Amino acid sequence: MKPLALLVSLLGLSLVAFWIGKSRSLAAVGGKAGIRSLHSLPGHYGLLTAAWCALPALVVIGLWLAFQDNILVQLVTAHLPEPLRSLPPAEFSLVLNDVRNVVAGNVPASSVDQSSAAAAAEYVHLQSISRIALTALALAIGVLAIIFARRRIVPELRARNQVERVMLWLLFGCSTLAVFTTIGIVASVLFEALRFFSQVSPWEFLTGTIWSPQTAIRADQVGSSGTFGAVPLFAGTLLISAIAMVVAVPTGLFSAVYLAEYAHPKFRSWTKPLLEILAGVPTVVYGFFAAITVGPALRGWGESVGLTVASESALAAGLVMGIMIIPFVSSLADDMITAVPQSLRDGAYALGATKSETIRQVIFRAALPGIVGGVLLAVSRAIGETMIVVMAAGLAANLTANPLEAVTTVTVQIVTLLVGDQEFDSPKTLAAFALGLVLFVATLALNVLALHIVRKYREQYE
Amino acid sequence: MASVRMKELDAGTAAARPSLASLVTDRDKTVGTITVDNAIFKCRDVNVYYGDKHAIKNVSIEIARNQVLAMIGPSGCGKSTFLRCLNRMNDTIPTARVTGSITLDGQDIHDKRQDVVQLRARVGMVFQKPNPFPKSIYENVAYGPRIHGLAGDRVELDEIVHTSLQRAGLWDEVKDRLNQPGTSLSGGQQQRLCIARTIAVSPEVILMDEPCSALDPIATARIEDLMEELRQSYAICIVTHSMQQAARVSQRTAYFHLGDLIEVGETDRVFTNPRHRLTEDYITGRFG
Amino acid sequence: MSDAPVRRAPRIRTAHETQTIVAKSLRRRYWAERRFRFYGAAAVLLGVVFVVFLFVTVFSRGIGAFQQAQIKIDVFYDPAIIDPAGTRKAEDLALADYAAVLREALVRVFPDVKGRSARRALSRLLSSSAPFVLQRRVLANPDLIGTNDTLWVTASDAVDLLRKAKIDRRLPEALRPLSDQQLAWFDQLAERGALELKFNRTFLSTGDSRDPENAGVWGAVMGSLLMLSLTLLLSFPIGVATAIYLEEFAPQNRWTDLVEVNINNLAAVPSIVFGLLGLAVFINFFGLPRSAPLVGALVLTLLTLPTIIIASRAAIKAVPPSIREAALGMGASRIQTIAHHVLPLALPGMLTGTIIGMARALGETAPLLMIGMVAFIVDVPHSFTDPSTVLPVQIYLWSDSPERGFVEKTSGAIIVLLVFLVIMNAAAVFLRNKFEKRW
Repeated sequence: MKPLALLVSLLGLSLVAFWIGKSRSLAAVGGKAGIRSLHSLPGHYGLLTAAWCALPALVVIGLWLAFQDNILVQLVTAHLPEPLRSLPPAEFSLVLNDVRNVVAGNVPASSVDQSSAAAAAEYVHLQSISRIALTALALAIGVLAIIFARRRIVPELRARNQVERVMLWLLFGCSTLAVFTTIGIVASVLFEALRFFSQVSPWEFLTGTIWSPQTAIRADQVGSSGTFGAVPLFAGTLLISAIAMVVAVPTGLFSAVYLAEYAHPKFRSWTKPLLEILAGVPTVVYGFFAAITVGPALRGWGESVGLTVASESALAAGLVMGIMIIPFVSSLADDMITAVPQSLRDGAYALGATKSETIRQVIFRAALPGIVGGVLLAVSRAIGETMIVVMAAGLAANLTANPLEAVTTVTVQIVTLLVGDQEFDSPKTLAAFALGLVLFVATLALNVLALHIVRKYREQYE
Repeated sequence: MASVRMKELDAGTAAARPSLASLVTDRDKTVGTITVDNAIFKCRDVNVYYGDKHAIKNVSIEIARNQVLAMIGPSGCGKSTFLRCLNRMNDTIPTARVTGSITLDGQDIHDKRQDVVQLRARVGMVFQKPNPFPKSIYENVAYGPRIHGLAGDRVELDEIVHTSLQRAGLWDEVKDRLNQPGTSLSGGQQQRLCIARTIAVSPEVILMDEPCSALDPIATARIEDLMEELRQSYAICIVTHSMQQAARVSQRTAYFHLGDLIEVGETDRVFTNPRHRLTEDYITGRFG
Repeated sequence: MSDAPVRRAPRIRTAHETQTIVAKSLRRRYWAERRFRFYGAAAVLLGVVFVVFLFVTVFSRGIGAFQQAQIKIDVFYDPAIIDPAGTRKAEDLALADYAAVLREALVRVFPDVKGRSARRALSRLLSSSAPFVLQRRVLANPDLIGTNDTLWVTASDAVDLLRKAKIDRRLPEALRPLSDQQLAWFDQLAERGALELKFNRTFLSTGDSRDPENAGVWGAVMGSLLMLSLTLLLSFPIGVATAIYLEEFAPQNRWTDLVEVNINNLAAVPSIVFGLLGLAVFINFFGLPRSAPLVGALVLTLLTLPTIIIASRAAIKAVPPSIREAALGMGASRIQTIAHHVLPLALPGMLTGTIIGMARALGETAPLLMIGMVAFIVDVPHSFTDPSTVLPVQIYLWSDSPERGFVEKTSGAIIVLLVFLVIMNAAAVFLRNKFEKRW
């Protein structure tokens, strides 16, 4: 049985288990009239039986399926003819790909060589055996569990307590998913990055200034220098982010101040959502906008003033990224400003300060740590942004501080390195994970720093 | 009725007032009769700690069936804390620690084998601010019987709801609008709804934590009358700020002061002839 | 008294003196005030202008995608071409040369077109999918053979662009996609009313294609719907369960702090890193199929979980403790209290947070690129393991294409995406306003 059908059958069996448990509990006290003699509600006994039926079986199914593919591949490989088995890993994985493609039905068996086709047939055969075995095992476990649980049902059985303990464990398990996700990210990225660093030295990666990730397929291939110095990428990322900040921070701050302090409530009520829209537009739309409208416009404007502006200039990408970040900065600043209590403002006005003086000297100072934290979070967002730069920034690594030139960023390179028919082990693809590691660490550090600043320097308003 | 008793007490007050010199001043020992004949709750050496703060100090007291026990005392003296011990509501506060023995009908309520859920079905609670569920009036009352499996079918449930609302004195006012939300009632009606809800699970004891302090005088009077009827079937323990209320509704009164149980005894005697200095001071309004 | 040199004690100014000084400074200070206020208003205005400009640009470019140039043709279903053997067998009918039928029809309109290359140029005014329209009609109704019929067929990409005035007629021939001769035919067709813009149904009902005039977003929309529904199915229960555990049951210890810190961090991790996770773990380690909505949904679930958890926790916190106390006091267990009282009251807030999370997931592109959704998928997906693409990725792929016709299609797809997002956000705001309870 295919996995989905098995799960559905298990669900059906659990429903039967529920009904069995519930009716058994009622029968034990002579029908509904005796319901008060039961420790828990009849539904609890039903749930307990259903839980006994479903949970052990699900665990078995999960483990089985998780390792099924690996084990089957190992079995199939053991039966491959000798010359194929001793191929170097790169070509062996190509053979495996062929086998997988035939199994999935993507290509007909006639298009691959005979031993691969035979291996594919064997895989399918073994897979169906495995599925039958799993179905039998899972359903058997379920039925046995029902019998076992049913026997235990007596009126004194504290079914509700047991069911609630199971639920508690489920809730706890879900909450650990967040931790496992972080562990998964760190582990997977770290693992692959370390494999990269075993082929390219970290020092060269972090300080080298030439980024040219070509790897040789043949030893004598031309243009296969393969240097992985990431400094131009860092520089490009910082350049574009800096431009974005120059656009976003003043606009965001000033608009937050105006909307919070000066604007008429009705005006505020429709402009604030309007600005929030900027935050909801998908970044791919911004990227398209930058590539189609802003890039060429800048180039045309540059030509008319006598400057050479690349069509994929850092300025175009930075400008659009800045527009995207405006609502980010604006809403964080707004929260900080409105958190300042009216009593501080009153004190300033009472002394005869004008509104702008109050804002500049009293409110800003009070809200500053929060605003700085917000700006740091915005920087973190800018660094991690992908689609805008993929569509509007360049691909060639260029170490420069001139915003009119085309640069590339860390995220663009991650995409280019992985979007393509690359084999998984070459340093080219692994470089993407090394870049991912740098990105993850950088954004994490910025977030922690932002939080720290906000917590440490936050004004305690009584 | 309650007002008549008040007049009797006033009359009594005019008579013998104790001389100040004869009053006990020691705070460690409770004055008066702790034990009762028909006890449902027996508490011995109960201490409650909130973290380091010692909130209830060595309190021993018994609560009788079919009687109203009033717990009075100045603010912050631990009356509510002690009340919450009786149905283990203090368990919901992470820093609270309760020691000593509290037995309900001979069973220790802190025993590991005792299910706290069952305890709370036997010992109901009415809170200071009426807190009906945001469900219909019917559902509010039906909730308890539902979760404890007290009704086999809908007919039984209807009956339980009807009886409870009637005994809480609310049936006539809401019988035509059982489907309206409980929050649409007036304050006094909401509190009576909460009482009906508590009665619906047929408890043995009803704890009331200042049930009338958020209500107007007329609603208060109705609830006090209700208490008189309810004590025919349940033991009632009420915490109150108002001495007059304690005098009106209770048969026994316990006076708490800063975590100590100072004096306990029959209401008439405690109010007319207190034996402890602090009780006398509180009653005569010197503090509190 | 100190021995310090005697300094003149600062004279306390009289009220009159202070007033004069203040009066002098007022003008400067009011000007500063006005400037400051102007900056603020200018910033707001700038933001509004950006929004308006963005939407106007996208809409103006994209609205044309919903129209399509079509050419009216009188067709004769010549049995000699379609069914020479006269058997009317489906396999033979399917393989007949319908392009020839169309060529004949065009030649009837322009009788003086002679020579194979000229006739081919004439045929190129129609889209490459036009013959299949005829094929489908004949297969559905073989009685059409031998009859005459008038129908509208899709024009080619170049004709479409010219009809929408997106290419310049005045350019020299070498720079135009249409030759002078084809331009003349174009004009003649237009004069007779045989060349018109009609509502583009293929855009909303077909999948991707190499030709811009045949490309549609339906494949991407289905892929997005499948992926989002799976994401919702996975992330909502897990997110709500985590929020309940953290708010109601978690003890105050280091493990709980760790989980909380983790969730807050995950909310700020760039989405591309989740793509790397998906690639390394789901595709490489677990061997799931690339490009399938299943893997995309798994990655998007991990991405949206922090948003849902944070919103759900806020909603649970907002439920007043008096309701909890009342339920506990009646002997409800903690789980019963949560299930019967807290959860129903917190549900609107949770749903709002979920919808916002889903809206964000709908627009995510980068992590899906990582797990391989860049393939050229023509078929509309029907299950969770069929290869598919999603709307934002489709937009990305089309924007990369060199053909001019795809610019309009990309903008059209963006309009479709934005419409979905507006609907979702409006639903969230509606929910929030309707169920906002005043305690």
